[in-house]
Amino acid sequence: MRTATACASARRDSGVEAEKRIWKCGICKIELVMKKTVFSYLGHNVSHEVPTCPKCGKIFIPEGLAEGKMAEVEQQLEDK
Amino acid sequence: MADGGRRIPKTNSLCPVCLERIPAEIVNREQEYCLEKGCRDHGRFSTVIWRGDNPPFEQWGNYVPPPQSKVAQPDCPNACGLCPGHLQKTCCVLVEVTGRCNLNCPFCFAQSGGNPADPTVAHLSDSFKELVRQDCTFIQLSGGEPTLRDDLPEIVAAAKAAGCENIQLNSNGIRLGKDRAYTKALAQAGLSFVFMQFDGTENVIHEKLRGRPLLAEKQAAIKACAGERIGITLVPTVVPGVNDDNLGDILNFGFSNSPAVRGVHFQPVSYFGRHPRPPRNEDRITLPEVLRAIERQTSGKVNIADFVPSGCDHPRCGFHGDFVVLPDALMPLTPEPKTCSCSQEDSKAHIKNRNFVARRWKRTPADSGMECCSNNDFGDMDNFLSRVRSHGFTITAMAFQDAYTFDIERLRQCSLHVYAEGRLIPFCARYLTAETCHG
Repeated sequence: MRTATACASARRDSGVEAEKRIWKCGICKIELVMKKTVFSYLGHNVSHEVPTCPKCGKIFIPEGLAEGKMAEVEQQLEDK
Repeated sequence: MADGGRRIPKTNSLCPVCLERIPAEIVNREQEYCLEKGCRDHGRFSTVIWRGDNPPFEQWGNYVPPPQSKVAQPDCPNACGLCPGHLQKTCCVLVEVTGRCNLNCPFCFAQSGGNPADPTVAHLSDSFKELVRQDCTFIQLSGGEPTLRDDLPEIVAAAKAAGCENIQLNSNGIRLGKDRAYTKALAQAGLSFVFMQFDGTENVIHEKLRGRPLLAEKQAAIKACAGERIGITLVPTVVPGVNDDNLGDILNFGFSNSPAVRGVHFQPVSYFGRHPRPPRNEDRITLPEVLRAIERQTSGKVNIADFVPSGCDHPRCGFHGDFVVLPDALMPLTPEPKTCSCSQEDSKAHIKNRNFVARRWKRTPADSGMECCSNNDFGDMDNFLSRVRSHGFTITAMAFQDAYTFDIERLRQCSLHVYAEGRLIPFCARYLTAETCHG
């Protein structure tokens, strides 16, 4: 799955508490804010709120989201 | 060979009268493709297998004839059980639990009837254990009409205990609607889902194909299974001049009964088992005709482009489309590019297919479908996932082969097998009958 934001890059945290932490953009040093982001996969778009840098637009994808809902969306859209 | 026409691949078929294996060719004349063959004793046969160029015959599934097997083949299909020449593993295996039936349909693939002894639960249990040992964990209980057995819940429980992951019931639905305690017992025993014969939305269709009006009984079966959260897939036999103009109505009926109804599985009529008379070409409807009828009769709600060929069988054996029923629309899920992710080269194709259909046909624990969605924005990831789990809907088709259309290259790629006499036998080889077996 990829995001519709051209400059977006997915990072995955390693800690289970990652989603509760406050994250800052590694480049802009600004606290990330929750923002609706469109994900595209196999011609379908679905949106979800993810931590986003308000300045550069890079997003952070928590591990739980990547391995949970995003993986299920991929599975549901992949053909048999 | 008959005059003219462009010859496509050579294959092998059978004489429909004596079932002797004979060479065959697929011949194209304008927009019709026929399987043509000759028997020295019974003459020439030309049977239509594809009509029209939408979708085009030669592009369907990027079809490339497989190389001839280098492995010495036994007398295919006469000695059939899977042999080294077979190209596909088992996806679904059908187990016959009775030969008896409570209908006497003019069309019956299994030629049910009579009163042969049913296999015992202990015998079936041994079969299930052996199948699981061979990694065949998706079984279909078939017949005859399996619900004639009062001990069917015990059979389901035995399959579950043996380790079968998905237990499908092939049924006409009559008892399921009438006997709620029985349906409940099946659910409690672990029945996963039902393939229910459903030939149309009008009683005149049922009268022609099954001998009596059955629509109310089918509706009762859907209600009963919905009450037990057993998913139902509707299975119409499509017969030209009988119900080929009802395909759109069948689909709309299915959509309106989602999530209880999980899909529609069309079976273009094939002439094996019991049928009224030897078939003429006008008695046949081919896969592209079914696809065009679906598109036309649903006024474009469902499009030919929403479908892909079978991936774990031969492309000419069927098609499938994957959808989500939304409150006011239908969302196709068929991915771009329009190819099936499982292929003949994929050794896991049968497992992918097995998991896919189980995910779609099984009802989830809480799937009324609306309880999780605060609004109808199905572009939202949470709402999309909730809806696809609850209201996923498949439209599939399988064109079984009879002695006229029999193509051994198709047979070699079959993943639907019947377990009988300790062997796994491709469905169309198991139920093959000669021309004299009609009526």
